[in-house]
Amino acid sequence: MTSIFIQLLINGIIAGAIYALVASGFSLIYSTNKFVHFAHGGVIALSAYFLYWLFSKLGLNFYLSALLTVIFSSFLGYMLNEIIYKPLRAKKSSSSILLVASISILILLESLVLLLFGADVKIINFINNNQGIDFLGATITPIQITIILVSVILFFALFVFMKKSKIGKAMRAVADNRDVAEIVGISSEKIYSWSFIIGSAIAGCAAILISLEQNITPTMGTNLMIKGFTGAIIGGIMNVPGAILGSFLLGIVENVGIWFMPSGYKDAIAFILLFIFLLFRPQGILGIKNNLK
Amino acid sequence: MIDAYFIHLLTLIGIYLILAISLQLSLGYSGLLNLGHIAFFGIGAYVSAILSLNGTIFLISALIAGIISGFFGWLLSLPANRLKGDYLALATLGFSFVVYAIFLNWIEITKGPFGLPGIPRPNVFGIDFSSNSSFLILVIILVLISYFFIHRICNSQFGKALEATRDDELAAKSLGKHTVKLKSVSLAVSAFFAGVAGCLSASYITFINPSSFTFLNLIPILLIVIIGGLASLRGTVLATIVIVLLPEPLRFIGLSSSILGPIRQIIFTLMLILIIYFKPRGFFGRVNLE
Repeated sequence: MTSIFIQLLINGIIAGAIYALVASGFSLIYSTNKFVHFAHGGVIALSAYFLYWLFSKLGLNFYLSALLTVIFSSFLGYMLNEIIYKPLRAKKSSSSILLVASISILILLESLVLLLFGADVKIINFINNNQGIDFLGATITPIQITIILVSVILFFALFVFMKKSKIGKAMRAVADNRDVAEIVGISSEKIYSWSFIIGSAIAGCAAILISLEQNITPTMGTNLMIKGFTGAIIGGIMNVPGAILGSFLLGIVENVGIWFMPSGYKDAIAFILLFIFLLFRPQGILGIKNNLK
Repeated sequence: MIDAYFIHLLTLIGIYLILAISLQLSLGYSGLLNLGHIAFFGIGAYVSAILSLNGTIFLISALIAGIISGFFGWLLSLPANRLKGDYLALATLGFSFVVYAIFLNWIEITKGPFGLPGIPRPNVFGIDFSSNSSFLILVIILVLISYFFIHRICNSQFGKALEATRDDELAAKSLGKHTVKLKSVSLAVSAFFAGVAGCLSASYITFINPSSFTFLNLIPILLIVIIGGLASLRGTVLATIVIVLLPEPLRFIGLSSSILGPIRQIIFTLMLILIIYFKPRGFFGRVNLE
């Protein structure tokens, strides 16, 4: 009994780590730009396929492919901002318009993946020997341990970056109050670009880790995005640590929920959680109420 | 042959038209960024399909499909009244994912991914609508009823109050309008007609499965409403015809359906991005998307 619980908890933490990678980039972009960048999921999907293309098709070294994937994803995020969001912002479009644009981009990217790679599932066979290790009566694979470790390192690096670096501080300033940040000489457009670059680089890392463990499919982006923003809203979309916390919570609730419901309802559990938070605590666990527009 | 194709296109236009003008009521006239419209369409399709397969006559199952969709619309309006803008969009989008998950997983009722085949064509008061051309007549009748009804709502005192609420909720409230109730009714009526459209679509194709009701399928409807212009029914009618016909030539250049699907989506999404950049009000729109 306890070993099943520990197994579900571990599965929850692994799922949570992946959701948190999605949510942290997403909430970084949301906190500065103040609109829902749905296409973040599309960036992850396209990056995963980019990795597949480099590693499985062209036969490049895995670590080189991974590095190129991160560069690709941050470039893609940067270009989306430059080509689509920036002109829209220049026309003073409302955040609803930007939201519609981001949904369009998400579906555009997914359709591109479908067109280029087809609808069938792809597998990246980098680590073949994936024997489970016994851990307190539950099983955990080396890849899963890698996922948890790498994501924790990334979150720590992100945290230090946001606290200590000049750009990180400027990002927090813009997130807090754009007008005041502009007055002290921070270019908000530049900060928007930076948050797209960094947020999308995290998306690239997420793509790599996910494709090590799971199959990659053209619709993976939408699924991940749904989980990512649910996690972000639960934890507090305006701050990155909150989004990470919320994602882990979501992963655990979803997986432990399988105890009570058929596993097909995993997504539904996520949404019920989302509804509860939207209704009763829209600012999230760590959010501050007056931060909400 | 050409006639049959023409009739098929007209039927599609009719079904999309009901869907688009009903979305116009909640998105255009009430200003609710409702991204869950496809879920109401799906609920209508499933409810009517299950009823018809169990022998319920068409009119009753269409009505019940509409009422159940409308009920969910009303339910969704409860959180919607507390949420604004982006958050409302996320909640309604979330709703459509929950509904999709239920279609896919409630296998005893919906048969999951295999869908429900063999949905009967309608038979109203002894008149048989099973051939495509007679079905088209039924679609036209329902389009006219829906258009008339939504047109009346939008131009009534109720519709004006809705528009006032959309433009300035506080002002509408201070004039004694019960804005929460207005929005609820608008979302429920909008969902009702989406449900009717779902019922028509299910009995036309005679087969439904969950994949017809993912949020991918929302894009063409959203595009129609935005291209036609918010709060303009005339624009919506024109846009529906254009958007339904637009990808049709692709069929004749001999692309396989696995390529055709993504290409259609790419065209629609590119159009959506271009239209919100160059003409955010659409062609006949009276208000901006806020």
